[in-house]
Amino acid sequence: MEPSRDANRADLFDPKTLAALGHIEIVARWVVDGFISGLHRSPRKGFSVEFAEYRPYQPGDDLRYLDWKIAARADRWVVKQFEEETNLRATIVLDVSRSMDWSGSPARLTKLAYGEQLAAAIALLLLRQRDAVGLVRFDSEVRTVLPPRARTGQWRRLVAALDDPGAGQASYAADALARAARLVGRPGMVILVSDLLMDVPEVERALRALRAAGHDVTVLHLMDPAERDLSLTGEAVFVDPETGLEVPAAVADVRDAYRATVDAAVEEWRRTLARAGAVYETLSTAEPFGVPLRLAFSARQHVLK
Amino acid sequence: MSFLAPIWLALAGAAAVPLLIHLLRRRIGARVVFPAARYLARAEQEHSRKLRLRNLLVMFLRVLAVLCVAAAAARPVGRLAGVGHAPTALALVVDNSLSSSAVVDGRPVLGRLTAAADSALAATTPADRVWLVTADGATVGGSVAAVRRALGEVRPLAGSGDPAGAVRRAAALVRSSGVAEGVVAVVTDGQATSWPTPIALEDSRVAVHAPDVRPPANGAVLRAAAVPARWTPAGAVEGRVLAPAESAAYRITLGRRTLARGTVSAPRGGGEASLLVRAAPPERGWLPGTVELEPDELRGDDVRHFALWIGAAPRVTAGEGAGPFARTAVEALVQGGRAQAGAEVRVVSADELTALPALILAPADPVRLGAANRALERAGVPWRFGMVRRGESTIRFAGAARSAADVAASVRYTLVPQAGAAADTVARAGGEPWIVAGARYVIVGSALDPQSTSFPVRATFLPWLADAVSRLAAGGAGEVVEAVPGARLPRPSGVDALEAADGSRTPLAGDSVEVPARPGVYFYARGGERRGALVVNGDGGESVLARLSGAQLRSRFQGGSVEVEAGAAAWASSLFAASNRRSLVTPLLVAALLALAAEALAARGARRGRARPAAPAPAATRGAA
Repeated sequence: MEPSRDANRADLFDPKTLAALGHIEIVARWVVDGFISGLHRSPRKGFSVEFAEYRPYQPGDDLRYLDWKIAARADRWVVKQFEEETNLRATIVLDVSRSMDWSGSPARLTKLAYGEQLAAAIALLLLRQRDAVGLVRFDSEVRTVLPPRARTGQWRRLVAALDDPGAGQASYAADALARAARLVGRPGMVILVSDLLMDVPEVERALRALRAAGHDVTVLHLMDPAERDLSLTGEAVFVDPETGLEVPAAVADVRDAYRATVDAAVEEWRRTLARAGAVYETLSTAEPFGVPLRLAFSARQHVLK
Repeated sequence: MSFLAPIWLALAGAAAVPLLIHLLRRRIGARVVFPAARYLARAEQEHSRKLRLRNLLVMFLRVLAVLCVAAAAARPVGRLAGVGHAPTALALVVDNSLSSSAVVDGRPVLGRLTAAADSALAATTPADRVWLVTADGATVGGSVAAVRRALGEVRPLAGSGDPAGAVRRAAALVRSSGVAEGVVAVVTDGQATSWPTPIALEDSRVAVHAPDVRPPANGAVLRAAAVPARWTPAGAVEGRVLAPAESAAYRITLGRRTLARGTVSAPRGGGEASLLVRAAPPERGWLPGTVELEPDELRGDDVRHFALWIGAAPRVTAGEGAGPFARTAVEALVQGGRAQAGAEVRVVSADELTALPALILAPADPVRLGAANRALERAGVPWRFGMVRRGESTIRFAGAARSAADVAASVRYTLVPQAGAAADTVARAGGEPWIVAGARYVIVGSALDPQSTSFPVRATFLPWLADAVSRLAAGGAGEVVEAVPGARLPRPSGVDALEAADGSRTPLAGDSVEVPARPGVYFYARGGERRGALVVNGDGGESVLARLSGAQLRSRFQGGSVEVEAGAAAWASSLFAASNRRSLVTPLLVAALLALAAEALAARGARRGRARPAAPAPAATRGAA
């Protein structure tokens, strides 16, 4: 990949900088466009044989579906679309609890903002693959349910749903994941985007249920760098916005112990989710969106195999 | 450790600051929203013991640093381990008075004292100046080795010496040394009689070591004397003893033989008792004698010496002008066998004086005064009767025994010395000589009748008369002089040597005689003849071994600072305590810096973090993009 080309790829931009450039819908498009432009070849496979319509060719589209006759006659580059082009039903489960609405630095997006951008981008990426994408938002209860669809306009509805109210007191992922399983129906893909500040056994049980139903599950664990490293300073009473737990501490005193504790927690999540058959990745809100997009795309490809 | 500016110790109150911070640090007001607080709580829970220990360590180091700075500000001075003392002038006073020879627990007290003094000398450095002063005033200075040698040769004195004078001398040596730091170090048994009154020592620093040893029960001969000093030939030996129990066995020697032996009774539990042994020994001339007790823990006072002259009873006659009282007294002496009738010694009124030796009385009739003075001139007596004094005057005898007698003179003549007069004044009236005595005469300034003086009707008259007559009969036999060891006395006229009991003679020169240090009887000699006796005995007060308490002993020394220690080691180490003292400001500041460095290490950068509250999380807003 040439450096000059990468320099224009939005999926490699700093998330905060990118978010400042426009609405989530626009930004998501840039990100997905940039991401797709970075692929060496179009990953799309399994298009249905029943023709539906043409659409303009986009870089990355599989050349097998290019209509060479139209290209030869009218010098227009179009690809053929079919009625049943969607071969994957995916649901993005987004945690919108109060703990997500936090950032350790003004220079970074909150975990919620990052998650919403990421959800929009993943949805757009999947929709462009002719996959059906749905959305479930939850905090202490399920806030939004958008069934998976592959139709035009689904992405706009999904983006609009991201603006729904949320940020309740707590995160109860079990209900949301069960709802997502029901929405997906036949075996598909569930992507959980959350800071995972919740009980492990509860999440594990829900994910096991999803896996038992034949779904592929990918868990994207969002963490602010300050949560990972405790890069704060001074001493204060640290308050959990969801539970109200108050912990007086001197950062310098507990930093090492905290890092060890977080590492242990991440390892526990990794171990538990691996046992449950889920893909688990930690994401920093300081990372460009291209990283999680690649993870999500890989997961899709894995499902299609 | 002491402080030159103790007010700055108030800064130590600042030590409460880190303490309060430590105690209140869990009540910090700053609240920060932090979603991962559950991890923080878990970390604190899992590492709480380590964190608490570290917090305590940090708090302790901070308190230590504050205390060190506060102490440094107060300018402390004190001893520093491993640092030698500054040059010091050390004057050691060893109280080697007789009482120090007492044996306690099988070891002489003086041995303990010299051992303590030696330990003090062992702690000196070549830069120190040292002296050794003993109770007799002997002083040795110079190198430490020389002083230690001298210390090894210190022996108990036969008497009390002059411990107070020794201390004053030591203080003067220290003051004149020019050394900034100085100490008068006294080792003593703390005997009360050695330190009867406070000693003014200006601003000298005094360190006293008095070992805490229980004095033994002591028996002693407090007095021994021949009464009278001249036996003619009968007399008595008077003694007073301090008996450790209800009785004490004694022995009296005369010359080389035992004169008497017996037991004297004392009060229950011990105390003083008197003894009197009369004798009429066959020996003649000057003889030494002793009164002895059985040996005990303090040997030095178990023997006391005396001397006496023994001769035949003098032949005495009293003239008509001497008056009835004098004549009756002479007859009483003759009848008592203390004198014989004869003309060897005359008791006469001055106007009847024809020859010497004589006891010369003032004439009863003032009209005879001129004749009396002429008779004195003819006899070669260098005294004259002067103006008559009327009115009662109290008579004061030079001898202690008779001074208590209530004797007065109503009519008396002043006694006027002439050229060449060299006589002892035996008694005074109104401050003027009343009785004077020469080698062959005794002159009384009043007639011996009740109108002139009450002396002849007093009980002391007859013994005095007997002594005066025997003295005149003895002629140039000389007197008995008592002295303590080491004293200086005027040399009696006409004597040229001092003869010891073993017959050895020490030539005398100059106007004074140094009394030998060894107790005993010595005889003044002229040519081959004994011309008096010098009786050397220790001070009777040394026999009373009662000790002063530490506080009492401290009160006896009025110096700049006075310390009394019973322990030898503590005393020896205290000698250089003042000169060991250094400013502790720098060590304390170094300690404070080390504490702060250790605190920084322990806190591992916590200081910077705690300098301000934790950076609060930004108020995150949804949809910031």
